[in-house]
Amino acid sequence: MSNLWFLYLFFAALLVFIGLYCLLTMRNLIKLFIAVEVISKGVSLAIVATGAVKNNILLAQSLAITYVVVEVALVATALALIINIYKKNKSLDVRLLSKLKG
Amino acid sequence: MVFSFIVIPLLVAAFLPLVGKFSKKLLPDVLTNAALAFLVFNAILLVKPIFNQGVIVQNLNWLGERVNLQVALDGFNLFMLFTISLVSLCISLFSIDYLEHYGHKSTFYALFLVMIAGMNGLVLVPDLFSVYLFLEVAAVASYALVAFGLGYDELEASFKYLMLSVVASAFALLSITVIFGMTGSLNFQAVAQGLQDLQARLVLGVCVAFFIMGFGLKAALVPFHAWLPDAHPSAPAPISAMLSGLLIKVSGIYALFRIIYSVIGLTPALSQLLMALGTISMVVAALLALGQKDIKRMLAYSSISQVGYIVLGLALGTPLGIAGALFHLFNHAVAKGLLFLNSGSIQHITGTRNLEELGGLGKMVPVTAGTNLVGALSIAGVPPLAGFWSKLIIIMALIQAKQFGYALVAILASILTLWYYLLIQRKAFFGRVAEKWSQVKEAPFWMSAANVVLALVCILVGIFFTPIFKTWISPAAEALARGIQQVLMWGL
Amino acid sequence: MAIQIILLCGLVIFSALAILLKDLIKAALSLAVASLLLGIIFFRLAAPYAAVFEISVVAGLITVLFILTIALTKKGDEVTEARLVKLAFPVFLILFLVIDGLVMKSLLQKIPALPAGPEAGTFGEVLWKQRTFDLVAQVGVILAGVLAVLALFRKKEEDKDE
Repeated sequence: MSNLWFLYLFFAALLVFIGLYCLLTMRNLIKLFIAVEVISKGVSLAIVATGAVKNNILLAQSLAITYVVVEVALVATALALIINIYKKNKSLDVRLLSKLKG
Repeated sequence: MVFSFIVIPLLVAAFLPLVGKFSKKLLPDVLTNAALAFLVFNAILLVKPIFNQGVIVQNLNWLGERVNLQVALDGFNLFMLFTISLVSLCISLFSIDYLEHYGHKSTFYALFLVMIAGMNGLVLVPDLFSVYLFLEVAAVASYALVAFGLGYDELEASFKYLMLSVVASAFALLSITVIFGMTGSLNFQAVAQGLQDLQARLVLGVCVAFFIMGFGLKAALVPFHAWLPDAHPSAPAPISAMLSGLLIKVSGIYALFRIIYSVIGLTPALSQLLMALGTISMVVAALLALGQKDIKRMLAYSSISQVGYIVLGLALGTPLGIAGALFHLFNHAVAKGLLFLNSGSIQHITGTRNLEELGGLGKMVPVTAGTNLVGALSIAGVPPLAGFWSKLIIIMALIQAKQFGYALVAILASILTLWYYLLIQRKAFFGRVAEKWSQVKEAPFWMSAANVVLALVCILVGIFFTPIFKTWISPAAEALARGIQQVLMWGL
Repeated sequence: MAIQIILLCGLVIFSALAILLKDLIKAALSLAVASLLLGIIFFRLAAPYAAVFEISVVAGLITVLFILTIALTKKGDEVTEARLVKLAFPVFLILFLVIDGLVMKSLLQKIPALPAGPEAGTFGEVLWKQRTFDLVAQVGVILAGVLAVLALFRKKEEDKDE
């Protein structure tokens, strides 16, 4: 079963790529956060598949569950931020967020 | 008791929102500072056992059942724990007065303590996945703290910071997953042993690249630094001090070098790459700092530049280089904490952070001006302050390793540093008193007290350099160097 | 195996839909479908507990949070995306697909299999006894999330203007 590892990681990398593409190009704040969610789906697929292929499924399962908990905390924080930003400038356009320049 | 470094901040943080219902200010102040003072005390108590035994590994039993709550403490960890506790104690003292006009002190302190628990946990765990988790604990708390003022800039900076930082930790976690797949384990030692048997240098190289990307973003090394000059100045001053002084070092530099030293091993190519990254950050950020008008932005760029020094020393990998870098890490944490707190004082006193508007404050606010001078000179590396010695050691280590080019750049960058710090000092404190600042008063008691404590640490560490270096820095550097030796012996 | 590959492709397609669809509610729903498919994949990989969490928490709770946010930010959310982005997406996707396939196969196939042997114990024992530290960290993360929401939605006691 070990040669299936690359197949699962192939799909995980694909998900991460889709998310990154969206993060780099899109403008809607909620869209950007959906992209983060897509990336984290890729990560959790990688964790569980690695465990399954390498006979470590119990350990991988507990890691995946912990990762889901982290995800929820992140989503709550980020969406709270988005709502606050929306309250301030009545828009979700990321281009309005350019007052600060790196 | 090593475990209390994680449990006590979490417990206090969990109770603070309840306490905040009864007492808005006094009780949260007292509880937070007491908890942090206890941690500093605890760290000092642990020095002796570490000195005698070298490493403490503690297993906790829970209700008679054996559970796996393993913490490993060596010189390096203890050094980091002490730095975290000391600087965060001073910062929370400062917050007593500074947070008055933000309101909701109990929530603030609770988030602050969760962040400290996250950093302490990150420092203590000997396990790759737990490193990621505690990183995330500290990060989630820091997003909220950056946005704590709820103003426009704060929210924007926090959102950018969150996006970049989530991607960074996702990459670190992917890399951890691949390593887990290759070795079937997550414990540092087991992974290092597993990697030794594998012939998979290419995959390992990709993993290292992901680690450098992920943790480099957290540490704001130069290609990945864009978020820091937004996020750090936007936060309330105590949090800027916390982020710049501690968080980038713990979740960036500590995590990266712990994994490189104890798990992967420092190969010459990796060492060259990291040294180059460090040097680039050092120079580019110093040049960018020169053009800034806002004090806090200037300080933020300076943080990137000083992180470059630390990475340069750690990547060199010789015992002297590691010792110098760790010493600089401590000095920078103290001095940058002090400078950011001072910028908070200036903002509290005058209501602005723009260097062009300030001027001649030195006569009105001698304490703030004096402590600011101490912090600035310490970072810039003027003898006999603490920062001088650490920069000297890093440069000596570079010369010893025959890296003359890097040594020259390090010296030049430290001259640049001195230049922009003198710029702050001259524009804000020296010169003619502007008309509108003639009535200003010194900052409130606790703010000044915290600044004075940190300034005293800068001076005293500089004066008693030899004994401190022997008792604190050398054991930490030895612990790290031992890690390299072990991994190298395994043949990577 | 074929079923698994179909499921994985579905996962990718719905994830791509989630970022391409203009309507945010539809995007959030296709994200939920993607989570559902991921949960089924987990189940078929003999990870039933992770599957349950993925479906109930990610496909359920997080989708609810997303839709709540979308509803709260309803007015004036007409953000125009650049047209080029969507047109260029398939090109980049195919490009990455090729690179990804080549790289993954050449990199990972050489990794030798781990010594086989089923893990000892049950899932509960692994979670509670081996990964106890993670549970402590989970408490920390949840605490941080709760406090973050408290801090971001607090009523300002007095207005501070700069």
